[in-house]
Amino acid sequence: MAAVLEPYIYEGGIHKHSLILELLEDLGGYLVQKTPASTEVTLVMLIPKKDVQLVEDLCKKLLGKLTPAPLTGTEIAVVSPTLASHHLPHSACDVAEYLRRGGANTNMIGLARGMGRRVALSADYERKLINEHDVAVFSFGTFKDCIINKKPKLFEGIEIPIIVSGGPDLKTEDVPGADMYVGGIGRVAHRMRKGPELDAMDVLNEKVGEIINLKRESISKDPLVVLPARLMKEVQEQVPDIHNVLTPAPITLQLDGMRVKLPFDEYHEAIGNIEFDEGFRLSDVASITPSKMKNYILIKIKRRSEVGSAI
Amino acid sequence: MEPLETFIVETTEPSEAKAYESILKDIISELAFVRTIGRIKVRIRPEESLFMMAMVLRSGLPPIKAKEISETELDRPGSKVLITVTDEKTIPQFLEKLWEQFGRHNVIQPQRNLIEVISDDLEGAEESIGDIVVDDPEKSLRERLADMAIRSTPEGFRIRYHSLDNGRFIFVASEDTMQQEWIDEAGVMLEDLTGDE
Repeated sequence: MAAVLEPYIYEGGIHKHSLILELLEDLGGYLVQKTPASTEVTLVMLIPKKDVQLVEDLCKKLLGKLTPAPLTGTEIAVVSPTLASHHLPHSACDVAEYLRRGGANTNMIGLARGMGRRVALSADYERKLINEHDVAVFSFGTFKDCIINKKPKLFEGIEIPIIVSGGPDLKTEDVPGADMYVGGIGRVAHRMRKGPELDAMDVLNEKVGEIINLKRESISKDPLVVLPARLMKEVQEQVPDIHNVLTPAPITLQLDGMRVKLPFDEYHEAIGNIEFDEGFRLSDVASITPSKMKNYILIKIKRRSEVGSAI
Repeated sequence: MEPLETFIVETTEPSEAKAYESILKDIISELAFVRTIGRIKVRIRPEESLFMMAMVLRSGLPPIKAKEISETELDRPGSKVLITVTDEKTIPQFLEKLWEQFGRHNVIQPQRNLIEVISDDLEGAEESIGDIVVDDPEKSLRERLADMAIRSTPEGFRIRYHSLDNGRFIFVASEDTMQQEWIDEAGVMLEDLTGDE
Protein backbone atom coordinates (compact mmCIF):
# COMPACT_ATOMS: atom_id res chain seq x y z
CA MET A 1 0.00 0.00 0.00
CA ALA A 2 1.41 3.36 -1.02
CA ALA A 3 1.96 6.02 1.63
CA VAL A 4 -0.70 8.70 2.04
CA LEU A 5 0.55 11.87 0.40
CA GLU A 6 -0.29 15.38 1.53
CA PRO A 7 -0.04 18.38 -0.82
CA TYR A 8 1.99 21.42 0.26
CA ILE A 9 3.42 24.57 -1.28
CA TYR A 10 6.83 25.85 -0.25
CA GLU A 11 7.62 29.50 -0.84
CA GLY A 12 11.06 30.77 -0.03
CA GLY A 13 14.49 31.73 -1.24
CA ILE A 14 16.06 29.71 -4.00
CA HIS A 15 19.24 29.35 -1.93
CA LYS A 16 19.65 25.75 -0.70
CA HIS A 17 16.15 24.77 -1.83
CA SER A 18 17.71 21.67 -3.33
CA LEU A 19 18.02 20.38 0.24
CA ILE A 20 14.23 20.21 0.36
CA LEU A 21 14.13 18.34 -2.94
CA GLU A 22 16.71 15.83 -1.67
CA LEU A 23 14.79 15.28 1.53
CA LEU A 24 11.57 14.90 -0.44
CA GLU A 25 13.14 12.24 -2.63
CA ASP A 26 14.49 10.37 0.39
CA LEU A 27 11.06 10.38 1.98
CA GLY A 28 9.38 9.10 -1.18
CA GLY A 29 7.43 12.26 -1.91
CA TYR A 30 6.98 13.94 -5.28
CA LEU A 31 7.74 17.35 -6.68
CA VAL A 32 4.74 18.39 -8.76
CA GLN A 33 5.90 21.79 -9.93
CA LYS A 34 8.85 24.09 -9.44
CA THR A 35 8.56 27.77 -10.31
CA PRO A 36 11.73 29.79 -9.82
CA ALA A 37 11.35 33.58 -9.95
CA SER A 38 14.66 35.45 -9.59
CA THR A 39 15.75 34.75 -6.00
CA GLU A 40 12.49 33.11 -4.93
CA VAL A 41 11.17 29.66 -5.65
CA THR A 42 7.77 28.06 -5.34
CA LEU A 43 7.65 24.29 -4.94
CA VAL A 44 4.43 22.35 -5.16
CA MET A 45 4.99 19.01 -3.46
CA LEU A 46 3.32 15.84 -2.33
CA ILE A 47 4.79 14.82 1.00
CA PRO A 48 4.16 11.50 2.81
CA LYS A 49 1.76 12.33 5.62
CA LYS A 50 3.88 10.98 8.45
CA ASP A 51 6.96 12.91 7.32
CA VAL A 52 5.43 16.37 6.90
CA GLN A 53 7.00 17.49 10.15
CA LEU A 54 10.50 16.71 8.86
CA VAL A 55 9.99 18.84 5.78
CA GLU A 56 8.43 21.59 7.84
CA ASP A 57 11.45 21.71 10.15
CA LEU A 58 13.78 22.00 7.20
CA CYS A 59 11.65 24.74 5.63
CA LYS A 60 11.77 26.70 8.86
CA LYS A 61 15.53 26.36 8.93
CA LEU A 62 15.68 27.79 5.40
CA LEU A 63 13.35 30.63 6.45
CA GLY A 64 10.71 29.58 3.92
CA LYS A 65 7.00 29.04 4.30
CA LEU A 66 5.23 25.70 3.96
CA THR A 67 1.45 25.87 3.50
CA PRO A 68 -1.09 23.16 2.75
CA ALA A 69 -2.31 23.29 -0.86
CA PRO A 70 -5.44 21.17 -1.05
CA LEU A 71 -5.92 21.68 -4.78
CA THR A 72 -2.53 20.27 -5.76
CA GLY A 73 -2.58 17.73 -8.54
CA THR A 74 -5.78 19.06 -10.10
CA GLU A 75 -6.38 20.81 -13.37
CA ILE A 76 -9.26 23.27 -13.27
CA ALA A 77 -10.99 25.03 -16.17
CA VAL A 78 -12.06 28.59 -15.43
CA VAL A 79 -14.72 29.25 -18.04
CA SER A 80 -15.82 32.74 -18.96
CA PRO A 81 -18.74 33.40 -21.34
CA THR A 82 -16.51 35.42 -23.68
CA LEU A 83 -13.08 36.93 -23.86
CA ALA A 84 -14.57 40.44 -24.01
CA SER A 85 -13.58 42.99 -21.41
CA HIS A 86 -17.08 42.64 -19.92
CA HIS A 87 -16.40 39.10 -18.82
CA LEU A 88 -12.79 38.27 -18.73
CA PRO A 89 -10.50 40.57 -16.89
CA HIS A 90 -10.52 40.88 -13.19
CA SER A 91 -13.12 38.52 -11.79
CA ALA A 92 -12.30 35.47 -13.91
CA CYS A 93 -8.56 36.18 -13.77
CA ASP A 94 -8.71 36.67 -10.04
CA VAL A 95 -10.61 33.39 -9.65
CA ALA A 96 -7.95 31.56 -11.64
CA GLU A 97 -5.16 33.22 -9.70
CA TYR A 98 -6.73 32.35 -6.38
CA LEU A 99 -7.21 28.72 -7.34
CA ARG A 100 -3.55 28.57 -8.31
CA ARG A 101 -2.62 29.69 -4.83
CA GLY A 102 -4.43 26.60 -3.61
CA GLY A 103 -2.03 24.52 -5.70
CA ALA A 104 -4.24 23.88 -8.73
CA ASN A 105 -3.26 24.26 -12.36
CA THR A 106 -5.85 26.43 -14.04
CA ASN A 107 -6.68 27.02 -17.67
CA MET A 108 -8.84 29.95 -18.63
CA ILE A 109 -11.34 29.21 -21.36
CA GLY A 110 -13.29 31.99 -23.05
CA LEU A 111 -16.21 30.71 -25.11
CA ALA A 112 -16.56 31.95 -28.67
CA ARG A 113 -20.28 32.66 -28.44
CA GLY A 114 -21.13 32.57 -24.76
CA MET A 115 -22.21 36.17 -24.49
CA GLY A 116 -25.66 37.58 -24.03
CA ARG A 117 -28.78 35.79 -22.92
CA ARG A 118 -30.46 34.61 -26.07
CA VAL A 119 -27.53 33.67 -28.25
CA ALA A 120 -25.26 32.16 -25.59
CA LEU A 121 -24.03 28.70 -26.54
CA SER A 122 -20.91 26.59 -26.41
CA ALA A 123 -19.32 24.64 -29.23
CA ASP A 124 -18.74 20.90 -29.18
CA TYR A 125 -15.01 21.46 -29.24
CA GLU A 126 -15.24 23.72 -26.21
CA ARG A 127 -17.28 21.17 -24.25
CA LYS A 128 -14.77 18.42 -25.00
CA LEU A 129 -11.92 20.67 -23.93
CA ILE A 130 -13.66 21.54 -20.66
CA ASN A 131 -14.39 17.87 -20.02
CA GLU A 132 -10.66 17.11 -20.06
CA HIS A 133 -10.32 18.93 -16.72
CA ASP A 134 -11.10 17.79 -13.19
CA VAL A 135 -13.54 20.60 -12.40
CA ALA A 136 -15.03 23.52 -14.30
CA VAL A 137 -15.51 26.90 -12.61
CA PHE A 138 -17.91 29.11 -14.56
CA SER A 139 -17.43 32.79 -13.88
CA PHE A 140 -20.72 34.65 -14.38
CA GLY A 141 -21.96 38.18 -13.78
CA THR A 142 -24.21 40.32 -11.68
CA PHE A 143 -27.77 39.37 -12.61
CA LYS A 144 -29.71 36.65 -10.86
CA ASP A 145 -32.09 36.23 -13.77
CA CYS A 146 -29.24 35.50 -16.21
CA ILE A 147 -27.55 33.02 -13.91
CA ILE A 148 -30.72 31.09 -13.11
CA ASN A 149 -32.59 31.22 -16.39
CA LYS A 150 -30.18 31.74 -19.22
CA LYS A 151 -26.60 30.78 -18.54
CA PRO A 152 -27.18 27.15 -17.45
CA LYS A 153 -27.46 26.20 -21.11
CA LEU A 154 -23.70 26.56 -21.20
CA PHE A 155 -23.51 23.54 -18.86
CA GLU A 156 -25.02 21.16 -21.41
CA GLY A 157 -22.64 18.36 -22.25
CA ILE A 158 -20.28 19.11 -19.35
CA GLU A 159 -19.65 15.87 -17.51
CA ILE A 160 -17.22 17.08 -14.85
CA PRO A 161 -18.37 18.85 -11.66
CA ILE A 162 -19.56 22.39 -12.31
CA ILE A 163 -18.94 25.24 -9.88
CA VAL A 164 -20.55 28.58 -10.64
CA SER A 165 -19.38 31.93 -9.34
CA GLY A 166 -21.50 35.04 -9.70
CA GLY A 167 -22.52 38.27 -8.06
CA PRO A 168 -25.88 37.61 -6.35
CA ASP A 169 -26.30 35.56 -3.23
CA LEU A 170 -28.03 32.39 -4.46
CA LYS A 171 -28.45 28.85 -3.25
CA THR A 172 -26.85 26.04 -5.21
CA GLU A 173 -30.21 24.41 -5.89
CA ASP A 174 -31.44 27.64 -7.56
CA VAL A 175 -28.89 27.23 -10.35
CA PRO A 176 -29.94 24.28 -12.49
CA GLY A 177 -27.09 21.98 -13.44
CA ALA A 178 -24.53 23.44 -11.04
CA ASP A 179 -22.89 21.29 -8.38
CA MET A 180 -22.01 24.35 -6.33
CA TYR A 181 -22.72 28.06 -6.41
CA VAL A 182 -20.53 30.74 -4.82
CA GLY A 183 -21.81 34.33 -4.66
CA GLY A 184 -20.08 37.65 -4.21
CA ILE A 185 -17.81 37.22 -7.27
CA GLY A 186 -19.65 38.97 -10.07
CA ARG A 187 -18.55 41.23 -12.85
CA VAL A 188 -16.13 43.85 -11.58
CA ALA A 189 -14.00 46.31 -13.48
CA HIS A 190 -11.16 46.34 -10.96
CA ARG A 191 -8.80 43.82 -9.39
CA MET A 192 -10.43 42.16 -6.41
CA ARG A 193 -8.72 43.41 -3.32
CA LYS A 194 -11.43 44.52 -0.93
CA GLY A 195 -12.16 42.46 2.14
CA PRO A 196 -15.54 41.00 1.13
CA GLU A 197 -14.25 40.15 -2.34
CA LEU A 198 -11.28 38.25 -0.97
CA ASP A 199 -13.55 36.48 1.53
CA ALA A 200 -15.73 35.32 -1.35
CA MET A 201 -12.65 33.97 -3.11
CA ASP A 202 -11.66 32.08 0.01
CA VAL A 203 -15.13 30.54 0.07
CA LEU A 204 -14.74 29.59 -3.59
CA ASN A 205 -11.41 27.87 -2.92
CA GLU A 206 -12.97 26.00 -0.03
CA LYS A 207 -15.95 24.86 -2.10
CA VAL A 208 -13.75 23.76 -4.99
CA GLY A 209 -11.71 21.86 -2.41
CA GLU A 210 -14.88 20.11 -1.19
CA ILE A 211 -15.83 19.04 -4.71
CA ILE A 212 -12.28 17.82 -5.35
CA ASN A 213 -12.34 15.85 -2.11
CA LEU A 214 -15.58 14.16 -3.14
CA LYS A 215 -13.92 13.15 -6.38
CA ARG A 216 -10.83 11.95 -4.51
CA GLU A 217 -13.02 9.85 -2.24
CA SER A 218 -14.81 8.23 -5.15
CA ILE A 219 -11.42 7.43 -6.69
CA SER A 220 -10.17 5.94 -3.41
CA LYS A 221 -13.05 3.46 -3.45
CA ASP A 222 -11.73 2.04 -6.69
CA PRO A 223 -8.14 3.30 -6.78
CA LEU A 224 -6.11 4.11 -9.84
CA VAL A 225 -3.64 1.47 -11.00
CA VAL A 226 -0.79 3.92 -10.54
CA LEU A 227 -0.60 7.25 -8.72
CA PRO A 228 -0.45 10.19 -11.14
CA ALA A 229 2.52 11.57 -9.18
CA ARG A 230 4.42 8.31 -9.61
CA LEU A 231 3.61 8.24 -13.31
CA MET A 232 4.84 11.80 -13.60
CA LYS A 233 8.22 10.74 -12.27
CA GLU A 234 8.41 7.85 -14.72
CA VAL A 235 7.58 10.17 -17.63
CA GLN A 236 10.36 12.52 -16.55
CA GLU A 237 12.85 9.64 -16.37
CA GLN A 238 11.86 7.64 -19.44
CA VAL A 239 10.87 10.42 -21.87
CA PRO A 240 13.76 12.87 -21.37
CA ASP A 241 12.47 15.24 -24.07
CA ILE A 242 9.93 16.50 -21.56
CA HIS A 243 12.75 18.50 -19.98
CA ASN A 244 13.03 20.57 -23.17
CA VAL A 245 9.40 21.68 -22.99
CA LEU A 246 9.22 25.33 -22.08
CA THR A 247 5.52 25.73 -21.32
CA PRO A 248 4.61 26.13 -17.65
CA ALA A 249 3.84 22.79 -16.03
CA PRO A 250 5.05 20.51 -18.90
CA ILE A 251 3.29 17.68 -17.08
CA THR A 252 0.02 18.81 -15.60
CA LEU A 253 -1.36 16.42 -13.02
CA GLN A 254 -5.03 15.62 -12.82
CA LEU A 255 -6.90 13.57 -10.26
CA ASP A 256 -7.09 10.56 -12.55
CA GLY A 257 -4.33 11.22 -15.04
CA MET A 258 -2.28 13.98 -16.56
CA ARG A 259 -1.68 16.14 -19.57
CA VAL A 260 1.77 15.78 -21.09
CA LYS A 261 2.70 18.80 -23.16
CA LEU A 262 4.46 16.99 -26.00
CA PRO A 263 3.10 16.55 -29.53
CA PHE A 264 0.84 13.49 -29.66
CA ASP A 265 1.94 12.12 -33.03
CA GLU A 266 5.61 12.02 -32.17
CA TYR A 267 5.47 10.94 -28.59
CA HIS A 268 2.39 8.86 -27.86
CA GLU A 269 4.24 5.62 -28.52
CA ALA A 270 7.13 6.57 -26.27
CA ILE A 271 4.64 7.47 -23.56
CA GLY A 272 2.71 4.23 -24.05
CA ASN A 273 5.94 2.25 -23.78
CA ILE A 274 6.83 3.60 -20.37
CA GLU A 275 7.69 0.62 -18.20
CA PHE A 276 7.21 0.19 -14.50
CA ASP A 277 9.48 -1.91 -12.30
CA GLU A 278 6.47 -4.06 -11.48
CA GLY A 279 6.33 -5.23 -15.09
CA PHE A 280 3.51 -3.12 -16.52
CA ARG A 281 3.60 -0.94 -19.57
CA LEU A 282 1.67 2.32 -19.44
CA SER A 283 -0.46 1.53 -22.51
CA ASP A 284 -1.83 -1.49 -20.61
CA VAL A 285 -3.02 0.51 -17.64
CA ALA A 286 -4.06 3.86 -19.10
CA SER A 287 -5.78 5.35 -22.08
CA ILE A 288 -3.56 7.68 -24.06
CA THR A 289 -5.44 10.08 -26.33
CA PRO A 290 -4.80 13.34 -28.15
CA SER A 291 -5.86 16.31 -26.08
CA LYS A 292 -8.17 19.01 -27.39
CA MET A 293 -5.65 21.47 -26.06
CA LYS A 294 -3.13 22.08 -28.83
CA ASN A 295 -1.77 18.69 -29.80
CA TYR A 296 -0.88 17.49 -26.34
CA ILE A 297 -1.18 14.01 -24.90
CA LEU A 298 -3.93 13.24 -22.43
CA ILE A 299 -3.42 10.26 -20.14
CA LYS A 300 -6.30 8.83 -18.12
CA ILE A 301 -5.22 6.08 -15.75
CA LYS A 302 -7.48 3.05 -15.47
CA ARG A 303 -9.02 1.90 -12.19
CA ARG A 304 -7.91 -1.18 -10.30
CA SER A 305 -11.20 -2.96 -11.09
CA GLU A 306 -10.57 -2.59 -14.83
CA VAL A 307 -7.04 -3.95 -14.81
CA GLY A 308 -7.31 -6.44 -11.96
CA SER A 309 -4.29 -5.31 -9.99
CA ALA A 310 -2.43 -2.18 -8.98
CA ILE A 311 1.19 -1.15 -8.99
CA MET B 1 -24.00 71.83 -12.08
CA GLU B 2 -21.56 69.92 -9.91
CA PRO B 3 -19.93 66.74 -11.26
CA LEU B 4 -21.76 63.53 -10.45
CA GLU B 5 -24.38 65.16 -8.29
CA THR B 6 -26.87 62.44 -9.17
CA PHE B 7 -25.88 58.79 -9.63
CA ILE B 8 -28.78 56.37 -9.74
CA VAL B 9 -28.77 52.73 -10.85
CA GLU B 10 -32.08 50.91 -10.93
CA THR B 11 -32.40 47.17 -11.49
CA THR B 12 -35.27 44.73 -11.15
CA GLU B 13 -33.50 43.14 -8.20
CA PRO B 14 -32.53 46.11 -5.98
CA SER B 15 -29.52 44.34 -4.45
CA GLU B 16 -27.92 44.06 -7.89
CA ALA B 17 -27.96 47.81 -8.43
CA LYS B 18 -25.08 48.35 -6.05
CA ALA B 19 -22.84 45.89 -7.85
CA TYR B 20 -23.57 47.57 -11.16
CA GLU B 21 -22.98 50.97 -9.66
CA SER B 22 -19.46 49.88 -8.76
CA ILE B 23 -18.85 48.69 -12.34
CA LEU B 24 -20.00 52.05 -13.69
CA LYS B 25 -17.87 53.95 -11.24
CA ASP B 26 -14.83 51.97 -12.31
CA ILE B 27 -15.51 52.65 -15.99
CA ILE B 28 -16.16 56.34 -15.40
CA SER B 29 -12.92 56.80 -13.54
CA GLU B 30 -10.98 54.68 -16.02
CA LEU B 31 -12.10 56.85 -18.92
CA ALA B 32 -11.58 60.06 -16.90
CA PHE B 33 -15.22 61.08 -17.14
CA VAL B 34 -15.74 62.11 -13.55
CA ARG B 35 -15.59 65.82 -14.23
CA THR B 36 -17.65 65.66 -17.40
CA ILE B 37 -20.76 63.91 -16.16
CA GLY B 38 -23.15 65.98 -14.12
CA ARG B 39 -25.96 63.53 -13.53
CA ILE B 40 -26.41 59.92 -14.54
CA LYS B 41 -29.23 57.46 -14.29
CA VAL B 42 -29.13 53.84 -15.39
CA ARG B 43 -32.00 51.37 -15.52
CA ILE B 44 -31.46 47.67 -16.23
CA ARG B 45 -34.07 44.97 -16.73
CA PRO B 46 -32.11 41.78 -17.39
CA GLU B 47 -35.20 39.66 -18.01
CA GLU B 48 -36.08 41.92 -20.94
CA SER B 49 -32.44 42.17 -22.07
CA LEU B 50 -32.70 45.90 -21.61
CA PHE B 51 -30.09 48.48 -20.60
CA MET B 52 -30.92 52.18 -20.50
CA MET B 53 -28.75 55.12 -19.56
CA ALA B 54 -29.44 58.86 -19.39
CA MET B 55 -26.77 61.44 -18.67
CA VAL B 56 -26.59 65.17 -18.32
CA LEU B 57 -23.13 66.45 -19.10
CA ARG B 58 -21.60 69.55 -17.62
CA SER B 59 -21.30 72.45 -20.02
CA GLY B 60 -18.80 71.44 -22.65
CA LEU B 61 -15.53 73.06 -23.56
CA PRO B 62 -15.34 75.29 -26.64
CA PRO B 63 -13.25 74.25 -29.65
CA ILE B 64 -9.62 75.37 -29.59
CA LYS B 65 -8.57 77.57 -32.50
CA ALA B 66 -5.02 77.89 -33.78
CA LYS B 67 -4.70 81.54 -32.80
CA GLU B 68 -5.30 80.66 -29.14
CA ILE B 69 -2.31 78.38 -28.98
CA SER B 70 0.11 79.86 -31.52
CA GLU B 71 1.46 82.97 -33.17
CA THR B 72 2.04 83.34 -36.91
CA GLU B 73 4.41 85.63 -38.82
CA LEU B 74 6.05 85.76 -42.21
CA ASP B 75 9.78 85.12 -42.26
CA ARG B 76 11.99 87.94 -43.54
CA PRO B 77 12.46 86.96 -47.18
CA GLY B 78 8.74 86.32 -47.22
CA SER B 79 8.99 82.77 -48.42
CA LYS B 80 7.08 80.95 -45.68
CA VAL B 81 4.79 81.38 -42.70
CA LEU B 82 6.36 80.72 -39.30
CA ILE B 83 4.09 79.36 -36.61
CA THR B 84 5.29 79.40 -33.02
CA VAL B 85 3.17 77.03 -30.95
CA THR B 86 2.80 77.82 -27.26
CA ASP B 87 0.72 74.80 -26.23
CA GLU B 88 2.91 71.85 -27.05
CA LYS B 89 0.41 69.05 -26.46
CA THR B 90 -1.80 70.19 -29.33
CA ILE B 91 1.00 70.02 -31.93
CA PRO B 92 0.07 66.57 -33.32
CA GLN B 93 -3.51 67.62 -34.06
CA PHE B 94 -2.32 70.98 -35.38
CA LEU B 95 0.13 69.33 -37.79
CA GLU B 96 -2.56 67.03 -39.06
CA LYS B 97 -4.84 69.94 -39.84
CA LEU B 98 -2.03 71.78 -41.61
CA TRP B 99 -1.11 68.73 -43.70
CA GLU B 100 -4.71 68.51 -44.75
CA GLN B 101 -4.84 72.10 -45.87
CA PHE B 102 -1.39 72.72 -47.38
CA GLY B 103 -0.14 69.26 -48.27
CA ARG B 104 2.37 67.27 -46.32
CA HIS B 105 5.47 68.45 -48.20
CA ASN B 106 4.62 72.11 -47.57
CA VAL B 107 4.62 71.75 -43.81
CA ILE B 108 7.98 71.49 -42.05
CA GLN B 109 8.69 71.27 -38.35
CA PRO B 110 12.34 72.27 -37.83
CA GLN B 111 11.99 72.65 -34.07
CA ARG B 112 9.74 71.25 -31.43
CA ASN B 113 7.48 74.29 -31.18
CA LEU B 114 8.09 75.80 -34.61
CA ILE B 115 6.19 74.94 -37.79
CA GLU B 116 6.91 76.37 -41.23
CA VAL B 117 4.30 76.47 -43.97
CA ILE B 118 5.06 77.12 -47.63
CA SER B 119 2.26 78.42 -49.80
CA ASP B 120 1.68 80.33 -53.06
CA ASP B 121 -0.51 82.82 -51.23
CA LEU B 122 1.47 83.46 -48.09
CA GLU B 123 -0.57 86.34 -46.73
CA GLY B 124 -3.85 84.54 -47.24
CA ALA B 125 -2.35 81.49 -45.55
CA GLU B 126 -1.13 83.52 -42.60
CA GLU B 127 -4.61 84.85 -42.04
CA SER B 128 -6.45 81.59 -42.47
CA ILE B 129 -4.18 79.59 -40.18
CA GLY B 130 -5.40 81.42 -37.09
CA ASP B 131 -8.95 80.18 -37.65
CA ILE B 132 -8.09 76.49 -37.97
CA VAL B 133 -9.90 74.46 -35.32
CA VAL B 134 -7.06 72.48 -33.80
CA ASP B 135 -8.98 70.44 -31.27
CA ASP B 136 -12.65 69.95 -30.58
CA PRO B 137 -13.10 68.59 -27.06
CA GLU B 138 -16.80 68.04 -27.74
CA LYS B 139 -15.99 65.69 -30.59
CA SER B 140 -13.50 63.61 -28.65
CA LEU B 141 -15.98 63.59 -25.79
CA ARG B 142 -18.64 62.12 -28.07
CA GLU B 143 -16.29 59.36 -29.10
CA ARG B 144 -15.36 58.54 -25.53
CA LEU B 145 -18.99 58.72 -24.47
CA ALA B 146 -19.90 55.97 -26.90
CA ASP B 147 -16.98 53.94 -25.58
CA MET B 148 -18.17 54.37 -22.03
CA ALA B 149 -21.73 53.39 -22.90
CA ILE B 150 -20.63 50.23 -24.72
CA ARG B 151 -18.28 49.22 -21.91
CA SER B 152 -20.99 49.59 -19.29
CA THR B 153 -23.58 47.63 -21.23
CA PRO B 154 -23.84 43.91 -20.45
CA GLU B 155 -21.92 41.93 -23.07
CA GLY B 156 -24.07 40.72 -25.95
CA PHE B 157 -26.48 43.66 -26.03
CA ARG B 158 -25.53 44.51 -29.57
CA ILE B 159 -28.64 46.44 -30.64
CA ARG B 160 -27.98 50.00 -29.60
CA TYR B 161 -29.53 53.44 -29.83
CA HIS B 162 -27.90 56.63 -28.69
CA SER B 163 -28.45 60.34 -28.99
CA LEU B 164 -26.46 63.31 -27.78
CA ASP B 165 -28.16 66.66 -27.86
CA ASN B 166 -26.65 69.67 -26.20
CA GLY B 167 -24.95 67.71 -23.44
CA ARG B 168 -27.95 65.46 -22.85
CA PHE B 169 -27.15 61.86 -23.66
CA ILE B 170 -29.39 58.83 -23.81
CA PHE B 171 -28.36 55.29 -24.61
CA VAL B 172 -30.46 52.15 -24.95
CA ALA B 173 -29.05 48.69 -25.61
CA SER B 174 -30.67 45.30 -25.96
CA GLU B 175 -30.35 41.89 -27.54
CA ASP B 176 -33.74 42.20 -29.21
CA THR B 177 -35.10 44.57 -31.82
CA MET B 178 -35.08 48.15 -30.60
CA GLN B 179 -38.47 49.36 -29.46
CA GLN B 180 -39.63 52.94 -29.58
CA GLU B 181 -41.11 52.67 -26.09
CA TRP B 182 -37.66 51.95 -24.63
CA ILE B 183 -36.25 55.06 -26.28
CA ASP B 184 -39.22 57.03 -24.96
CA GLU B 185 -38.66 55.62 -21.49
CA ALA B 186 -35.01 56.64 -21.60
CA GLY B 187 -36.18 60.07 -22.73
CA VAL B 188 -38.42 60.30 -19.66
CA MET B 189 -35.45 59.31 -17.49
CA LEU B 190 -33.50 62.16 -19.01
CA GLU B 191 -36.38 64.54 -18.35
CA ASP B 192 -36.37 63.48 -14.70
CA LEU B 193 -32.69 64.20 -14.49
CA THR B 194 -32.91 67.67 -16.03
CA GLY B 195 -36.31 68.48 -14.51
CA ASP B 196 -35.16 70.55 -11.57
CA GLU B 197 -32.85 72.84 -13.52
